[in-house]
Amino acid sequence: MAVRGSGGGTDNNMRRTGFLLVAFFVFSFFSTLTASAQVPVRMRVIQASNVGQNIDPSLSDVHKELGSLFSFTSYRLLREENLRLFPNQPATIMAHPGRFMEVTLVGLQKEAAKLRIRVIREGKDILDTQVRLSPGRTVLIGGPRHGEGVVIYAISARF
Amino acid sequence: MKNSCSTVSTVLEKYFDQEVTDEEKLLVEGHLQECPGCRDALKSMEEFRILIKAPVEEATQKEDFPWVWQKIERGIRQQEKLTWWQSFRSWLDVTPLFKKRVWIPAVATVVVLLFVTTQIILKKTPSYPEVSVVEYIESQSDNVMVYQLEEPKVTVIWLFEGPEEERTTT
Repeated sequence: MAVRGSGGGTDNNMRRTGFLLVAFFVFSFFSTLTASAQVPVRMRVIQASNVGQNIDPSLSDVHKELGSLFSFTSYRLLREENLRLFPNQPATIMAHPGRFMEVTLVGLQKEAAKLRIRVIREGKDILDTQVRLSPGRTVLIGGPRHGEGVVIYAISARF
Repeated sequence: MKNSCSTVSTVLEKYFDQEVTDEEKLLVEGHLQECPGCRDALKSMEEFRILIKAPVEEATQKEDFPWVWQKIERGIRQQEKLTWWQSFRSWLDVTPLFKKRVWIPAVATVVVLLFVTTQIILKKTPSYPEVSVVEYIESQSDNVMVYQLEEPKVTVIWLFEGPEEERTTT
Protein backbone atom coordinates (compact mmCIF):
# COMPACT_ATOMS: atom_id res chain seq x y z
CA MET A 1 0.00 0.00 0.00
CA ALA A 2 2.79 2.37 0.91
CA VAL A 3 4.63 1.68 -2.31
CA ARG A 4 1.50 2.18 -4.38
CA GLY A 5 0.75 5.50 -2.65
CA SER A 6 4.26 6.74 -3.27
CA GLY A 7 4.06 5.76 -6.94
CA GLY A 8 0.79 7.67 -7.33
CA GLY A 9 2.41 10.77 -5.87
CA THR A 10 5.31 10.45 -8.27
CA ASP A 11 2.90 10.08 -11.17
CA ASN A 12 1.08 13.22 -10.09
CA ASN A 13 4.35 15.11 -9.81
CA MET A 14 5.41 13.94 -13.24
CA ARG A 15 2.09 14.92 -14.72
CA ARG A 16 2.26 18.30 -13.04
CA THR A 17 5.82 18.83 -14.23
CA GLY A 18 4.88 17.85 -17.76
CA PHE A 19 1.89 20.13 -17.73
CA LEU A 20 4.01 23.02 -16.45
CA LEU A 21 6.61 22.41 -19.14
CA VAL A 22 3.98 22.45 -21.84
CA ALA A 23 2.45 25.59 -20.36
CA PHE A 24 5.90 27.19 -20.21
CA PHE A 25 6.55 26.40 -23.85
CA VAL A 26 3.17 27.75 -24.94
CA PHE A 27 3.70 30.90 -22.89
CA SER A 28 7.21 31.35 -24.28
CA PHE A 29 6.01 30.89 -27.83
CA PHE A 30 3.25 33.45 -27.53
CA SER A 31 5.40 35.88 -25.60
CA THR A 32 7.95 35.61 -28.41
CA LEU A 33 5.26 36.38 -30.95
CA THR A 34 4.07 39.32 -28.87
CA ALA A 35 7.61 40.59 -28.39
CA SER A 36 8.24 40.37 -32.11
CA ALA A 37 5.24 42.61 -32.75
CA GLN A 38 6.77 45.56 -30.92
CA VAL A 39 9.76 47.68 -31.80
CA PRO A 40 11.94 49.56 -29.34
CA VAL A 41 12.77 52.97 -30.75
CA ARG A 42 15.28 55.47 -29.45
CA MET A 43 14.42 59.08 -30.12
CA ARG A 44 16.73 61.98 -29.36
CA VAL A 45 16.05 65.64 -29.76
CA ILE A 46 19.28 67.53 -30.45
CA GLN A 47 19.82 71.24 -30.68
CA ALA A 48 22.45 72.14 -33.24
CA SER A 49 23.88 75.63 -33.49
CA ASN A 50 26.98 77.59 -34.32
CA VAL A 51 27.14 79.20 -30.90
CA GLY A 52 30.15 77.86 -29.07
CA GLN A 53 31.80 74.52 -29.65
CA ASN A 54 30.13 72.33 -27.14
CA ILE A 55 29.45 68.68 -27.89
CA ASP A 56 27.14 66.99 -25.47
CA PRO A 57 28.96 63.92 -24.06
CA SER A 58 25.81 61.84 -24.43
CA LEU A 59 26.00 62.41 -28.19
CA SER A 60 29.46 60.92 -28.55
CA ASP A 61 28.09 57.93 -30.47
CA VAL A 62 26.59 60.12 -33.23
CA HIS A 63 28.93 63.07 -33.07
CA LYS A 64 31.04 61.75 -35.93
CA GLU A 65 28.00 61.32 -38.17
CA LEU A 66 26.63 64.72 -37.22
CA GLY A 67 30.00 66.33 -37.88
CA SER A 68 30.28 64.73 -41.32
CA LEU A 69 26.77 65.75 -42.33
CA PHE A 70 26.31 69.21 -40.88
CA SER A 71 28.44 72.27 -40.35
CA PHE A 72 27.25 73.11 -36.88
CA THR A 73 29.80 73.59 -34.15
CA SER A 74 27.65 72.84 -31.12
CA TYR A 75 25.34 69.91 -30.40
CA ARG A 76 23.26 69.63 -27.26
CA LEU A 77 20.89 66.83 -26.27
CA LEU A 78 17.55 68.35 -25.35
CA ARG A 79 15.61 65.19 -24.77
CA GLU A 80 15.84 61.45 -25.09
CA GLU A 81 12.97 58.97 -25.22
CA ASN A 82 13.06 55.21 -25.44
CA LEU A 83 9.74 54.09 -26.79
CA ARG A 84 8.19 50.72 -27.44
CA LEU A 85 6.07 51.00 -30.52
CA PHE A 86 3.15 48.68 -31.07
CA PRO A 87 1.43 48.35 -34.43
CA ASN A 88 -0.86 51.25 -35.27
CA GLN A 89 -0.55 52.85 -31.86
CA PRO A 90 0.83 56.37 -32.26
CA ALA A 91 3.38 57.58 -29.72
CA THR A 92 3.61 61.29 -29.26
CA ILE A 93 6.45 63.26 -27.77
CA MET A 94 6.83 66.96 -27.32
CA ALA A 95 9.74 67.67 -29.60
CA HIS A 96 10.31 71.21 -28.47
CA PRO A 97 8.00 74.10 -27.58
CA GLY A 98 5.28 74.53 -30.20
CA ARG A 99 6.01 71.30 -32.02
CA PHE A 100 5.42 67.67 -31.31
CA MET A 101 6.21 64.49 -33.07
CA GLU A 102 3.95 61.50 -33.61
CA VAL A 103 5.49 58.16 -34.48
CA THR A 104 3.43 55.13 -35.48
CA LEU A 105 4.56 51.62 -36.25
CA VAL A 106 2.60 50.83 -39.43
CA GLY A 107 4.37 47.67 -40.48
CA LEU A 108 6.90 45.18 -39.30
CA GLN A 109 8.81 43.16 -41.84
CA LYS A 110 11.49 40.61 -41.22
CA GLU A 111 14.31 43.12 -41.56
CA ALA A 112 12.75 46.52 -41.05
CA ALA A 113 10.09 48.44 -39.23
CA LYS A 114 7.88 50.82 -41.14
CA LEU A 115 7.34 54.00 -39.21
CA ARG A 116 5.07 56.87 -40.01
CA ILE A 117 6.50 60.07 -38.60
CA ARG A 118 4.61 63.32 -38.36
CA VAL A 119 6.01 66.59 -37.10
CA ILE A 120 3.16 68.89 -36.20
CA ARG A 121 3.36 72.60 -35.62
CA GLU A 122 0.25 74.53 -34.61
CA GLY A 123 -2.00 71.71 -35.79
CA LYS A 124 -0.38 71.59 -39.20
CA ASP A 125 1.78 68.77 -40.52
CA ILE A 126 5.11 70.35 -41.32
CA LEU A 127 6.32 66.85 -42.08
CA ASP A 128 4.50 63.63 -42.85
CA THR A 129 6.70 60.76 -43.91
CA GLN A 130 6.96 57.01 -43.84
CA VAL A 131 10.34 55.42 -43.44
CA ARG A 132 11.65 51.88 -43.37
CA LEU A 133 13.94 51.64 -40.42
CA SER A 134 16.31 48.73 -40.19
CA PRO A 135 18.60 47.93 -37.25
CA GLY A 136 21.70 50.09 -37.29
CA ARG A 137 20.15 52.85 -39.37
CA THR A 138 19.46 56.28 -37.99
CA VAL A 139 16.98 58.70 -39.45
CA LEU A 140 17.78 62.34 -38.75
CA ILE A 141 15.01 64.86 -39.19
CA GLY A 142 16.32 68.40 -38.94
CA GLY A 143 15.54 71.93 -39.81
CA PRO A 144 12.94 73.32 -37.42
CA ARG A 145 14.33 76.43 -35.76
CA HIS A 146 15.04 76.37 -32.08
CA GLY A 147 16.71 79.24 -30.27
CA GLU A 148 19.85 80.27 -32.10
CA GLY A 149 20.05 77.03 -34.01
CA VAL A 150 17.94 74.22 -35.31
CA VAL A 151 16.60 71.05 -33.85
CA ILE A 152 17.50 67.59 -35.12
CA TYR A 153 15.50 64.49 -34.26
CA ALA A 154 17.54 61.28 -34.29
CA ILE A 155 15.46 58.14 -34.57
CA SER A 156 16.82 54.62 -34.49
CA ALA A 157 15.23 51.25 -33.97
CA ARG A 158 16.67 48.52 -31.81
CA PHE A 159 15.50 45.04 -32.82
CA MET B 1 -5.72 -53.76 -2.76
CA LYS B 2 -5.29 -51.57 0.31
CA ASN B 3 -2.25 -49.92 -1.13
CA SER B 4 -4.10 -49.37 -4.35
CA CYS B 5 -7.11 -47.86 -2.55
CA SER B 6 -4.97 -45.43 -0.60
CA THR B 7 -3.21 -44.41 -3.82
CA VAL B 8 -6.47 -43.92 -5.68
CA SER B 9 -8.13 -42.05 -2.85
CA THR B 10 -5.57 -39.25 -3.22
CA VAL B 11 -6.62 -38.62 -6.81
CA LEU B 12 -10.28 -39.65 -6.58
CA GLU B 13 -11.46 -36.10 -5.89
CA LYS B 14 -9.43 -34.82 -8.79
CA TYR B 15 -10.97 -37.55 -10.94
CA PHE B 16 -14.41 -36.51 -9.76
CA ASP B 17 -13.64 -32.91 -10.71
CA GLN B 18 -12.17 -34.07 -14.06
CA GLU B 19 -8.78 -32.63 -13.25
CA VAL B 20 -6.69 -35.77 -13.57
CA THR B 21 -4.12 -36.57 -16.23
CA ASP B 22 -4.70 -39.36 -18.73
CA GLU B 23 -2.41 -41.63 -16.79
CA GLU B 24 -4.25 -40.98 -13.51
CA LYS B 25 -7.57 -41.44 -15.27
CA LEU B 26 -6.57 -44.90 -16.48
CA LEU B 27 -5.32 -45.78 -13.03
CA VAL B 28 -8.54 -44.68 -11.30
CA GLU B 29 -10.92 -46.26 -13.82
CA GLY B 30 -9.01 -49.58 -13.70
CA HIS B 31 -9.20 -49.55 -9.94
CA LEU B 32 -12.89 -48.63 -9.83
CA GLN B 33 -13.77 -51.72 -11.88
CA GLU B 34 -12.22 -53.91 -9.22
CA CYS B 35 -13.01 -51.97 -6.02
CA PRO B 36 -16.63 -51.54 -4.84
CA GLY B 37 -15.49 -49.40 -1.87
CA CYS B 38 -13.99 -46.73 -4.11
CA ARG B 39 -17.04 -46.92 -6.42
CA ASP B 40 -19.19 -46.16 -3.37
CA ALA B 41 -16.94 -43.28 -2.44
CA LEU B 42 -17.28 -41.82 -5.95
CA LYS B 43 -21.03 -42.32 -5.84
CA SER B 44 -21.17 -40.50 -2.49
CA MET B 45 -19.36 -37.56 -4.02
CA GLU B 46 -21.90 -37.36 -6.87
CA GLU B 47 -24.82 -37.55 -4.43
CA PHE B 48 -23.27 -34.89 -2.25
CA ARG B 49 -22.79 -32.58 -5.24
CA ILE B 50 -26.41 -33.04 -6.28
CA LEU B 51 -27.42 -32.37 -2.72
CA ILE B 52 -25.47 -29.09 -2.60
CA LYS B 53 -26.06 -27.90 -6.16
CA ALA B 54 -29.87 -27.85 -6.06
CA PRO B 55 -30.33 -25.42 -3.12
CA VAL B 56 -27.47 -23.20 -4.25
CA GLU B 57 -28.93 -22.81 -7.74
CA GLU B 58 -32.35 -22.19 -6.28
CA ALA B 59 -30.98 -19.47 -3.97
CA THR B 60 -29.00 -17.91 -6.79
CA GLN B 61 -32.06 -17.67 -9.01
CA LYS B 62 -34.04 -16.01 -6.23
CA GLU B 63 -31.31 -13.49 -5.43
CA ASP B 64 -30.89 -10.57 -7.85
CA PHE B 65 -27.95 -8.99 -6.04
CA PRO B 66 -29.48 -5.46 -6.01
CA TRP B 67 -26.48 -3.84 -4.36
CA VAL B 68 -24.19 -5.09 -7.12
CA TRP B 69 -26.37 -3.56 -9.83
CA GLN B 70 -26.71 -0.34 -7.88
CA LYS B 71 -22.97 -0.04 -7.68
CA ILE B 72 -22.52 -0.77 -11.39
CA GLU B 73 -25.22 1.73 -12.39
CA ARG B 74 -23.68 4.40 -10.17
CA GLY B 75 -20.32 3.76 -11.78
CA ILE B 76 -21.83 4.06 -15.27
CA ARG B 77 -23.57 7.30 -14.37
CA GLN B 78 -20.37 8.80 -12.96
CA GLN B 79 -18.45 7.81 -16.05
CA GLU B 80 -21.06 9.46 -18.28
CA LYS B 81 -20.87 12.77 -16.41
CA LEU B 82 -17.15 13.43 -16.77
CA THR B 83 -16.19 17.10 -16.80
CA TRP B 84 -13.62 18.41 -19.25
CA TRP B 85 -11.07 18.49 -16.46
CA GLN B 86 -11.77 14.86 -15.53
CA SER B 87 -11.50 13.92 -19.16
CA PHE B 88 -8.20 15.74 -19.36
CA ARG B 89 -6.96 14.00 -16.22
CA SER B 90 -8.02 10.62 -17.54
CA TRP B 91 -6.22 11.43 -20.78
CA LEU B 92 -3.12 12.15 -18.78
CA ASP B 93 -3.59 8.86 -16.96
CA VAL B 94 -3.43 6.85 -20.14
CA THR B 95 -0.75 8.89 -21.82
CA PRO B 96 2.42 6.81 -21.72
CA LEU B 97 4.45 10.01 -21.81
CA PHE B 98 3.82 10.55 -18.13
CA LYS B 99 4.26 6.99 -17.05
CA LYS B 100 8.01 6.96 -16.99
CA ARG B 101 10.24 9.39 -15.17
CA VAL B 102 12.84 9.22 -17.91
CA TRP B 103 10.57 11.27 -20.17
CA ILE B 104 10.80 14.37 -18.01
CA PRO B 105 14.38 15.37 -18.91
CA ALA B 106 13.71 14.36 -22.50
CA VAL B 107 10.62 16.52 -22.73
CA ALA B 108 12.38 19.37 -20.94
CA THR B 109 15.25 19.19 -23.41
CA VAL B 110 12.89 19.20 -26.38
CA VAL B 111 10.99 22.15 -24.94
CA VAL B 112 14.18 24.14 -24.39
CA LEU B 113 15.43 23.31 -27.89
CA LEU B 114 12.12 24.34 -29.41
CA PHE B 115 12.17 27.55 -27.42
CA VAL B 116 15.70 28.41 -28.53
CA THR B 117 14.94 27.46 -32.14
CA THR B 118 11.83 29.59 -32.15
CA GLN B 119 13.80 32.53 -30.86
CA ILE B 120 16.41 32.10 -33.58
CA ILE B 121 13.85 31.66 -36.34
CA LEU B 122 11.77 34.63 -35.28
CA LYS B 123 14.75 36.88 -34.70
CA LYS B 124 15.08 39.52 -37.34
CA THR B 125 18.38 39.73 -39.12
CA PRO B 126 19.36 42.89 -40.97
CA SER B 127 20.79 41.61 -44.19
CA TYR B 128 19.07 43.14 -47.16
CA PRO B 129 20.37 45.99 -49.27
CA GLU B 130 18.15 48.95 -48.63
CA VAL B 131 16.96 50.67 -51.75
CA SER B 132 15.09 53.51 -50.18
CA VAL B 133 14.48 54.23 -46.54
CA VAL B 134 11.94 56.97 -47.14
CA GLU B 135 8.81 55.54 -48.72
CA TYR B 136 6.94 58.81 -48.99
CA ILE B 137 7.31 62.32 -47.66
CA GLU B 138 5.28 65.48 -47.75
CA SER B 139 5.03 68.79 -45.99
CA GLN B 140 2.14 71.22 -45.96
CA SER B 141 4.32 74.23 -45.38
CA ASP B 142 8.02 73.69 -45.95
CA ASN B 143 10.46 72.43 -48.54
CA VAL B 144 11.99 69.08 -47.75
CA MET B 145 15.27 67.47 -48.71
CA VAL B 146 16.17 63.78 -48.28
CA TYR B 147 19.74 62.63 -48.12
CA GLN B 148 20.68 59.01 -47.63
CA LEU B 149 24.02 57.48 -46.76
CA GLU B 150 24.93 53.80 -46.58
CA GLU B 151 28.12 54.27 -44.58
CA PRO B 152 27.32 55.33 -41.95
CA LYS B 153 23.73 54.18 -42.22
CA VAL B 154 22.07 57.54 -41.89
CA THR B 155 19.11 59.09 -43.64
CA VAL B 156 18.66 62.83 -43.33
CA ILE B 157 15.34 64.55 -43.82
CA TRP B 158 15.78 68.30 -43.76
CA LEU B 159 12.98 70.80 -43.43
CA PHE B 160 13.58 74.30 -44.76
CA GLU B 161 11.43 76.41 -42.53
CA GLY B 162 12.89 79.64 -43.77
CA PRO B 163 15.47 80.88 -46.24
CA GLU B 164 18.01 81.46 -43.49
CA GLU B 165 18.08 77.72 -42.59
CA GLU B 166 19.43 76.61 -45.94
CA ARG B 167 22.96 77.74 -45.19
CA THR B 168 23.24 75.47 -42.19
CA THR B 169 23.40 72.24 -44.16
CA THR B 170 26.32 70.99 -46.13
